[in-house]
Amino acid sequence: MRRPKTLGLLVAVLLGASVLAACGSGDTVSGGKVKVVFWHGQNDAAKKTIDGLIADFNRTHPNIEVDGNLGGVLADQMTTKVTAALAAGSYPDVAYIFGSDLANIARSPKVLDLTDTVHANGFGWDDFWPAEQQAASVDGRVRGMPALVDDLGIVYNKKLFDAAGIGYPNDSWSWDDFRTAARKLTDAGSGTFGTGWPGAGAEDTVWRLWPMLWQQGGDILNPDHSATAFDSPQGRTALSLVHDMAAVDKSVFVDSDPSSQRMNQLFNDGKMGMLVAGPWALPDIVDAKIDYGVTGLPGFGGNHTTISGADDWVLFDNGSARSKATIEFITWLTDPAQDIRWTQGVDNLPIRRASLKEPGYQDFVKRVAGIQVFVDNLPGARARPAVAAYPKVSAAVGQALVGSLLGQTDPATALHKAAQDGDTALKGP
Amino acid sequence: MSTSLRRRLLGEHPSGWGLVLPASVLILGLNIGPMVWAFLLSLRHDDLLAPSKWVGLANYRRLAEDPVFRAAIGHTLNYTALFVPLSIAIGLGIAMMLNQPVRFAGFYRTCVFVPFVVSAAAEGALFSFVFDPHYGVANAALARVGIGPQGFFQDPRQAMATLVAISLWGGIGLCVVVLLAALQDVPTHLVEAARLDGAGRRAVFRHVTLPAITPVLVFLLVWQTLQALQLFELVYTTTNGGPLRATTVVVFYVYQQAFQQFDAGYGAAVAYVVAVAVFGLAVARLVLRRMRGRAG
Amino acid sequence: MTTMARRRGGRVPTLGRGEGGDDRPKGRSRRRLLPFNPWHLALAPMAVLFALPLVWLGLSSFMSNAEINRFPPALFPSSPHLDGYTYVLRNAEFPVWFGNSCLVAGATVLSNLVLCSLAAYGFARMRFRGAGVVFGLLMATLVVPFQLTMIPTFLLMRQLGLTDSLPALIVPNLVSAFGVFLLRQFFLALPPEFEDAARIDGCTRLGVLIRIVLPLARPALATLAVLTFLTTWNDLTWPLIVISTEHNYTLQLGLTTFTGQHRSQWSAVMAGNVLTTLPVLVAFLVGQRNFVASLTSSGLKG
Repeated sequence: MRRPKTLGLLVAVLLGASVLAACGSGDTVSGGKVKVVFWHGQNDAAKKTIDGLIADFNRTHPNIEVDGNLGGVLADQMTTKVTAALAAGSYPDVAYIFGSDLANIARSPKVLDLTDTVHANGFGWDDFWPAEQQAASVDGRVRGMPALVDDLGIVYNKKLFDAAGIGYPNDSWSWDDFRTAARKLTDAGSGTFGTGWPGAGAEDTVWRLWPMLWQQGGDILNPDHSATAFDSPQGRTALSLVHDMAAVDKSVFVDSDPSSQRMNQLFNDGKMGMLVAGPWALPDIVDAKIDYGVTGLPGFGGNHTTISGADDWVLFDNGSARSKATIEFITWLTDPAQDIRWTQGVDNLPIRRASLKEPGYQDFVKRVAGIQVFVDNLPGARARPAVAAYPKVSAAVGQALVGSLLGQTDPATALHKAAQDGDTALKGP
Repeated sequence: MSTSLRRRLLGEHPSGWGLVLPASVLILGLNIGPMVWAFLLSLRHDDLLAPSKWVGLANYRRLAEDPVFRAAIGHTLNYTALFVPLSIAIGLGIAMMLNQPVRFAGFYRTCVFVPFVVSAAAEGALFSFVFDPHYGVANAALARVGIGPQGFFQDPRQAMATLVAISLWGGIGLCVVVLLAALQDVPTHLVEAARLDGAGRRAVFRHVTLPAITPVLVFLLVWQTLQALQLFELVYTTTNGGPLRATTVVVFYVYQQAFQQFDAGYGAAVAYVVAVAVFGLAVARLVLRRMRGRAG
Repeated sequence: MTTMARRRGGRVPTLGRGEGGDDRPKGRSRRRLLPFNPWHLALAPMAVLFALPLVWLGLSSFMSNAEINRFPPALFPSSPHLDGYTYVLRNAEFPVWFGNSCLVAGATVLSNLVLCSLAAYGFARMRFRGAGVVFGLLMATLVVPFQLTMIPTFLLMRQLGLTDSLPALIVPNLVSAFGVFLLRQFFLALPPEFEDAARIDGCTRLGVLIRIVLPLARPALATLAVLTFLTTWNDLTWPLIVISTEHNYTLQLGLTTFTGQHRSQWSAVMAGNVLTTLPVLVAFLVGQRNFVASLTSSGLKG
């Protein structure tokens, strides 16, 4: 059979292109340096900061070459990516993992156990916030190094409060005060809402409910994590309050967008009185020139416990040389001298107490007004339980919350159903 | 070997293998291995992370009692049943309008086609604003004509329809362009002959136009159905499967199980059941057609 | 068939130009109640419905970040801002991503055209043992959701040493079962007489395919090319899994880096979307005359 030249050529070019482009990736850098592949999951200003830190580390550590990459950014995407990478056996040395996913990722035998590292002399594990320590520990072992920490508080628009003739929120507010204020701030005519709540049913919807549970003495799971505990009077009170505010008072903007950034944008546009948010919301609010104030969460019976979401650097085993270098890098990165630069770059909270004494800290607190409130609440903040079934429990509660927010389901029934699904998940297969 | 024997053994044109081999090897190589892998996965309790556990058919048994899975199948069927016929019917309608001697037909066609090139991510960003119940353009427009505000993505009863509407916006363009080309190719002498025989517009359409464009309709039917069954990215960027799982379609459910809830073994079982069902339907249709062909 | 189509060429509106009105066949002009063709009453609102969201996308890309980082966003930018575009274009990697997308989509289209044509012709015209079974298997792969085979495909790419490289984006898409289906359906519809004549003149099967069949199949090839190009260009799930180094990003993957966990550069997202969509749009506008006119010159007919 006569082969046409053009076709053969095409195929040859295609194959050639594939082979050529496949070259040029390797594990070690020339000159005996150990390479550390770092998926930091940061973009924008945070990326610039971390790139600067990586450059400094590489300069001062001639034997190690850290290769920083974005990886994926959004929560689901990073988890998907790391899961796929681990399943295929081609994974980085360290990656940014969301706190709620850590217990699952840590099921992989490739994830390094950092217990000995953090308890070594001079590491200062106790210097990290309690919620971080709690979130990084799975079954009593430390499986991640704190990367980013936040907690929830209230950011409010002073102008809207003045216009409605209500006193600003303060740290003695009860959730009833919060509800009343939200109702008064809501004005359908001008499209103004008292507050907002993410409505996509993902973890961002769910974690805001937990402080309301804890403040009443309730809990998410029972002490040995074998069953859910939220289908309780405390749970029903919390969910009913959300339901009544959203479905009865109509004072809650339900943000169905999966990114749940729209409620922040609404606040930035001066159309929302109070935003339950973390420190991450502040820079955009400053940019939008909203006259705002910050205070802690309202409470039940004087208890104002808040929740802290702590994300982690998770280290993976790519051989002992790389593991050693990676631990060295992450230890360096979480040192107060570097942490303060990281804090300033991402406009988030310092991940350890010692960073508060660093020279840059005071400038930082002045630049981002109100961020001190979030720092002050960190020592008492609680973390979610780090159990592998958490994503399923969260998804079940997410359904109950969305049903309540949209006025589609009765809170008590929905919560009961969520508890059943959660219990099934905790029992495992 | 005699020629006839060789023919019987290898077929009339054994060199046909040479033509189909590269594509077949690539497609099957890239699919059969992974399919076998996924089947084994579906027989395990596996989160892709920890060492997995053989559970036999447990995942499949669990599936039989999973209301969310059943709902997801329903959502996928709903979506397909709405999107496929609507996109082709509306596409045909627009194509027929544009097939008239109308000024600016090229401009109109371009307008309709352009959304087709937009990525699902961009669609998500665009329409989550358009369909916002409080501030969206859609409700503002409805208010103009005296219709009260709708929930769209926040109403479990409307979310799927909203998703279909967005898909139609993005998917009709292809139907229009392809059908318009086919319509313009309907032999004019046939149409004129039918007219001379006294056939009305409807009769001409049924007996001349429709048979002529049937192959194109089949192509569109297959393509749009495949698109509909594999719906994922639009859900991911707009609703995340909600509200209250109203838009959790099968592929999204598979993704959710495997990558959000760390239950990849179960996700594989879900995907397997659906793939086998669709394949079974396709085979059944083929067999039926063959039997009918033989009978007739 | 082709000659007939050519003869009609003068009357069938040639697309892409202001067409219709003037060369309208005289016999069909009706009495006018409106100063324009009544079809416009249906067509114009439809065009608006389809085009308007994109017009807004274009407008919003000229908003300042503060302006668009509000909800609800403004309908019009207060004054044209280039925040988004500067942000995107200042990113040194953006041209690289653009090049990567072009390379991946281009290579995928090319290999699909070649491999699908070969296989489709084999299945359409040649009788060999096992053809039915193999074709059936190929079609069966169409119903497999990619989310199912994603991980093993990743494993496969790793075995081939291709992870985090552009070939990893190309190899799994070198040929599509749908393309084989589409072209086979088209080839089956072509009258075999041309090919028989060429065969008698001594052409090989491949010669017939290249000289006779493929030129006739331009519309189907164009359709396959457009579908393959758009699918590859807009794909996000697979690049997200298999690519890690910024240097190997595609445009769609690069765009995701403008949205953060809590903060997003919305003006950059909008501008990036415009910059990602625009080349495809322009390519279609320029190419549509070929694409559509070639479709009209023989059609996907049976």
